[in-house]
Amino acid sequence: MTVRGQIPILRIGSTLLASIQVELKDTTAQALQADMLSVLEKEGARGLVLDITGLDTVDTFVARVLTDTGRMARLMGTHTVLVGMRPEVAATLARMGFSMQGVHTALNVEEGLALLARLVGARPMPT
Amino acid sequence: MPNSRDYMARLGFDAQELSSRRHFFQLTDEDLARLAALRPFAERHNDAIIDAFYNELLLQHPESRLFFTDQAVFRRAVTAQKRYFLQLFSGVCDLDYMEDRLRVGTTHQRIGVAPKWYLGAYAHYLRLISSHLFREQGSSPDSELSNRSIQKIVFFDMSIAIETYIAAGVEAIQRHQSAIRELSTPVIQISERVLLLPLIGTIDTVRAQQVMEKMLARVVEAQARVIILDIAGVPVVDTRVANHLLQTTEAVRLLGATTILTGIRAQVAQTLVQLGVDLSTMHTCSSLQEGLEMALSMTGRAITTRGA
Repeated sequence: MTVRGQIPILRIGSTLLASIQVELKDTTAQALQADMLSVLEKEGARGLVLDITGLDTVDTFVARVLTDTGRMARLMGTHTVLVGMRPEVAATLARMGFSMQGVHTALNVEEGLALLARLVGARPMPT
Repeated sequence: MPNSRDYMARLGFDAQELSSRRHFFQLTDEDLARLAALRPFAERHNDAIIDAFYNELLLQHPESRLFFTDQAVFRRAVTAQKRYFLQLFSGVCDLDYMEDRLRVGTTHQRIGVAPKWYLGAYAHYLRLISSHLFREQGSSPDSELSNRSIQKIVFFDMSIAIETYIAAGVEAIQRHQSAIRELSTPVIQISERVLLLPLIGTIDTVRAQQVMEKMLARVVEAQARVIILDIAGVPVVDTRVANHLLQTTEAVRLLGATTILTGIRAQVAQTLVQLGVDLSTMHTCSSLQEGLEMALSMTGRAITTRGA
């Protein structure tokens, strides 16, 4: 387990899991991004799972940081799955026209891990 | 019956409304003072006026008589009426007074006294008060002024009562609308992880938002992988509707599920392409059947024919 910012990053096999249970402030989100990428750089991983079940609200800044993390990880050869978004959060983001292109989504952690297994098994995608 | 303070707030009956309404009804402090001065007159004639009111009008009319078939109810109504009558001559017209008048309106509404009974009865009542007033005080500038003050407060009272009638009607409509809304977004589970939402009727912005919210909530609740949105019953699909559909699809994707749009008629396809709407990010099918097959294959199932 690696803790630098407030959010612990867990390793499950070749996958990194960050379960966000605190309110995600701008700085916390940026710290999580930096932590994730540095763990990825040092230890490597085949997939990232970001669990946001605990978040009641996600503003566009945090949404952008999460999406960017996914895109950055993709550049480093890793797929990212965002899991557990609440209906209200999804509705708000969609209404604001904010599409989190570049990250995969799943209903819960279990499905996220299953999706990663499929993605890693499949040939690398061009995007 | 709703709590009358809450009800006052909902109808916007506050100090500002009170003063504006009094101004419009020209119900001045002099009027209130005149009414207060008439209090002894009211007390002297209270019984006679109310008795005449019931005996000449309410008990003579076959329909209004039906409200008073029970003696206890009748006695209660007469007592309340006497109290009500005296309050006209209290010389006070503040928020408490308004609240009291509002309660009269809601009570009438609740027991089914229609506005026509209310207004007809009040007109008769007003004639009775006037005739008693002029009989006792004669026709003079003074009694004319008194009569006018009585008219003002009576009409002021009626305005509040009528508004409670209207508000009750509006609330009934709102209840019906919410019932219709519930009926208009039936999300059906058709397989373990597949939901179906058949949309029927016009989609406006409000409805589109309800559809989205209901869909997203159900996707999470049922942990659905796929939701089929059937728009065969939507008469017009224009850019706005298409935009709502795209937003909903994106929101569903954010949850980790997939939307399949089915029931796209030839005409709808033509319109959308001519309008330049790009639905290429969505899974689309012409028929619900194809959509169902696609949904099942996404969840690792299939419909097969049993061995021949």
